[in-house]
Amino acid sequence: MLHLIQIEVFKIFKRSRSYIGFIAIAAIVLVIELALYLDGQHFLDMAVQNLKDTFSFDGNLLNGYLAVFIILNSLWIHIPFLIALVAGDLLAGEAASGTFKLLLTRPISRFQLVLAKFTAALIYTLSLILFMAVLSVGLGVLLFGKGDLMVVQNTIYIFSQEDVGWRIASAFAFSILSMTTVAALAFLFSAFADNSIGPIIGTMAVIIALFIFTSIDLSIFRAIKPYLFTNYLGAWRLFFEEPLNAIKIARATFVLSFHILLFFSITAFHFNRKDILT
Amino acid sequence: MQPIIQVSALSKSYKDFKAVNELNLTVYKGDVYGFLGPNGAGKSTTIRMLLTLIYPSSGEIKIFEKALNQHRNEILSRLGAIVEKPDFYGYLTAYKNLELLGKISGKSISSQRIMEVLELVGLKERYASKVKTYSQGMKQRLGFAQAILHDPELIILDEPTNGLDPQGMKDMRDLILHLSHDLNKTVFISSHILNEVELMANRMVILNKGKAVVEGNVQELLNSGEMSVTFEFDKQAQARESIATTKWEQKLISSTERSLVFSLLANQIPELNAFFVQHQIAVQSIVPLRSLENYFLSLTD
Repeated sequence: MLHLIQIEVFKIFKRSRSYIGFIAIAAIVLVIELALYLDGQHFLDMAVQNLKDTFSFDGNLLNGYLAVFIILNSLWIHIPFLIALVAGDLLAGEAASGTFKLLLTRPISRFQLVLAKFTAALIYTLSLILFMAVLSVGLGVLLFGKGDLMVVQNTIYIFSQEDVGWRIASAFAFSILSMTTVAALAFLFSAFADNSIGPIIGTMAVIIALFIFTSIDLSIFRAIKPYLFTNYLGAWRLFFEEPLNAIKIARATFVLSFHILLFFSITAFHFNRKDILT
Repeated sequence: MQPIIQVSALSKSYKDFKAVNELNLTVYKGDVYGFLGPNGAGKSTTIRMLLTLIYPSSGEIKIFEKALNQHRNEILSRLGAIVEKPDFYGYLTAYKNLELLGKISGKSISSQRIMEVLELVGLKERYASKVKTYSQGMKQRLGFAQAILHDPELIILDEPTNGLDPQGMKDMRDLILHLSHDLNKTVFISSHILNEVELMANRMVILNKGKAVVEGNVQELLNSGEMSVTFEFDKQAQARESIATTKWEQKLISSTERSLVFSLLANQIPELNAFFVQHQIAVQSIVPLRSLENYFLSLTD
């Protein structure tokens, strides 16, 4: 099994398309941090303009942690696409290139293959998020230094410099769970397709459609919203609240984990019964 | 004789279409077993079922005397296969492709073994080239290399000479015969090149519309039924005159200036030759023409 996982990870990182994600993330991080470096103070002044009448701000608000918080927001759309690009190709790509014949005529079970591929997708997702974390934090701190983090959500939170590190680490850790859900969805579509375009587009279409449904304030959508995984993709923000809402975090973790398990189970079940015709 | 592949009442249906219909066949140890049939006869579907790529609708497959659906991994570790067009990871080298496949073959495959099989198929010089730079013929050779990499007891080859030039086809044929004769491997080979099967196989089955039309020893099957036999003479007119009003006249199917062509059973050839000798007509040559192609067409038309 370990050999199989190594092979699948090796295959992912041997393909140039797998590096599109890293290049895109590097570009997103660089552009955002450079823009903040050049025009960040103006941006910040605009953001806190109304608050300045009530509050007095002291210290370095435009700091590396704020840059990381802004970059984390790109998780909503950009990163799912980059993950789907690889995860959506894992099974469909083998079907398209006719290489299932090589793998499935070896003494490995179909479940082992699906599990190895999914583990490889997990490792890829992990690498991508870790790369994003290291680059955004490293570059942010290098360009702007450290400081307290001001976050405006439903209310204004100001976290001291010492209180921010673990929150950022937790947010990135939670992002791994969110993005693994996206990877699991793309992987599921991949099992039903014989080319990788369908799963990539299908994954994005589902995510965008569910985002739209959940943002429309109709009672039918309100009823299903708590069960949709898209409702929790941005739950990393919960780590930037005070006090920490453990119940909300636990629910988000449960719903995402449940979806990962569900998507993987359907994938394994379908692939196990599928006739390989390519 | 030890049965290696036993297929009983094997069927595969897609909605109303029966791709394979109640197929029965047995391949014994050491056989080079020809699997023949026109396009769409169900050959590739059967091979895919033998390799668990497709699930049968009904019927049973036993390989090495064990049920395939219960002992899949054990069976697959003892066989190697090419299924239709061999596809590889084009972004990897030939060596790397084989190395990865070796790791999941159930046996420990050394670098030396990889180079050995690459040399055997004539790809040693190109071991470090990415497969996407290979021609179709080279991919076919690499397909053969991956099939024999783990030294399997049974080799299943689906159209193994596709894309090969005449020399490549001969090399492949020699290699298959070497595996069978020298290494006592069992080979199950499907091909649309009938002459190829005739040259290699000792037993065969002919499939048509998903059903086995005939199964048996290649030479026995070829020698059963009538074949066209050309008798060449110095004096063709005299020969023709001699058979007039005899039973041989009914057997005459065509003639040229120097020859007469008869449709005969194998045992009738010496009988007709004796007839001409008795009538003091010199026969210069006798050429029986019974190819697998004729036989195949007669069964599948």
